[in-house]
Amino acid sequence: MGEILEKIYGMTALGNFVDNPSYLIMILLAFFLLYLGIKKEYEPLLLVPIAFGVLIANFPGGGMGVLAVNSVGEIFRISNEFLNNGLDSGFQVLSFVEGTEEMKEGFVQLGKLWYDPALEGNAILQDANLVNHIEVYDIWKMPLHDIAHEFGIMNYIYYALIKSGLLPPIIFMGVGALTDFGPMLRNLKLAIFGAGAQFGIFAVLIVASQCGFDMKEAGSLAIIGGADGPTAIFTTLKLAPAMLGPIAIAAYSYMALVPVIVPLVVKLTCSEKELKINMKEQDKLYPNKQEFKNMRVLKILFPITVTTIVAIIVPDAVSLVGMLMFGNLIKEIGNNTSRLFNAASNGIMNAATIFLGLSVGATMTVDAFLNLKTIGIVAGGFCAFGFSIFGGIMLVKIMNLFSKKKINPLIGATGLSAVPMASRVANDIALKYDSRNHVLNYCMSSNVAGVIGSAVAAGILISFLG
Amino acid sequence: MDNFFMALQLMGIGLATVFSVLLLIIFLGNVLIKLINKYAPEEEAPKSNAFSAAPNPVDANVAQAISMAISKITNGKSKADKIERI
Repeated sequence: MGEILEKIYGMTALGNFVDNPSYLIMILLAFFLLYLGIKKEYEPLLLVPIAFGVLIANFPGGGMGVLAVNSVGEIFRISNEFLNNGLDSGFQVLSFVEGTEEMKEGFVQLGKLWYDPALEGNAILQDANLVNHIEVYDIWKMPLHDIAHEFGIMNYIYYALIKSGLLPPIIFMGVGALTDFGPMLRNLKLAIFGAGAQFGIFAVLIVASQCGFDMKEAGSLAIIGGADGPTAIFTTLKLAPAMLGPIAIAAYSYMALVPVIVPLVVKLTCSEKELKINMKEQDKLYPNKQEFKNMRVLKILFPITVTTIVAIIVPDAVSLVGMLMFGNLIKEIGNNTSRLFNAASNGIMNAATIFLGLSVGATMTVDAFLNLKTIGIVAGGFCAFGFSIFGGIMLVKIMNLFSKKKINPLIGATGLSAVPMASRVANDIALKYDSRNHVLNYCMSSNVAGVIGSAVAAGILISFLG
Repeated sequence: MDNFFMALQLMGIGLATVFSVLLLIIFLGNVLIKLINKYAPEEEAPKSNAFSAAPNPVDANVAQAISMAISKITNGKSKADKIERI
């Protein structure tokens, strides 16, 4: 009876939890993210798939976690044959480590394998023949069906759709199809605040480069300040793929926390008088002389123009901005491309979001997430986000010094991406101070420009650091 | 220290590029607006009575009342294009 119970115990994941309780931390984190997504309704379309990805990736033996690889794409694994022999010859294998170069701290190298001598299970690694039984996989050169066979379906999804860089531009296409550039075109001058709010990206790049991150890692961390999930993922894939999990989680979590972070920064930097600046009254005092005689044609030509400009100045940003503008173009053309628009904004976008969310979540395994760098990413990401909002607000304040027509600083605060949540939050803040002060349309101008601005900033980081 | 100067340099180049791109977009957007106003002013909207064309026509007074209500609620930003009985 005892033997049967022991076998049942061995079959379950309970033993793994006892050996390595850090799995439980990740599972609790997944529950917390699910709570935020479901109950608190923080970006549920993204947070729920990501959180569920974290959950299923952290059940030991489930094989649903995306494996951490070193900077040249190698994965080290002890051959099953050796493990079985080891067991037969009396070794008790409790756990072993698939090493990466990033694991050096506190680990000991044996051949190409890094292992933690403190783990009892690694007694097996003291076998002199071990080096001969380590399998090295160069995952970047493996055919996809081999990845699926050796490492499971989640790694297949990750390498086919994410690591290849396919999904972020696809999602950008969907975002473009759901974006209306009308408010931006009506208040074109306000689009400049989409540049001011990229300050956080470059400020944190400097700080991170002095805090133990190499330049590529610092660039990936800094892009969180763009407040744009697909841009953060795309940049990280190009610069520091090993940090994808924590960076994606930080980016989406802070985007979900826009209703908390924007009011906090605004409260710290803006006076009540500034927040009461009524944009409509300013428009009446200093009317915009621009006429719009054919908005439809303008909206069709605009995405084509923007793509052309960005392609010439920052070619590395074209995959993001180009797809964003393509999605917008098929929306604005109208009936003739309505089927494409429906596909981009519904079917493709939704499917891409599911796969992106699940596989990004699945990169957050114990090895990849529970380390000091993750804490640095969480803290640095928050600073990048805060500095970006601060940068936008400061640009408004500087412009207000020289301009008769005053601008509400909330319009600068929404210069980061996070469309349209940042604008809605800014509008709520404005209404709190003056119930007639609807700033939503004005904020949307800088907000949409922020999407372009952060993609351009990402292109610059990739071209200089990639 | 090298990294610090490189990051500082990237900040200068990055912010300058983002500002340049958005300024160029603003400038070309304004040029586009002017060109469109001059060469492609609004097309004549097809004259059709959406309300009477509906499969189940709604009384004109009711349609007008609904349109006015929508206009008032949305401060004139929205209008009813088509009203149908369901």
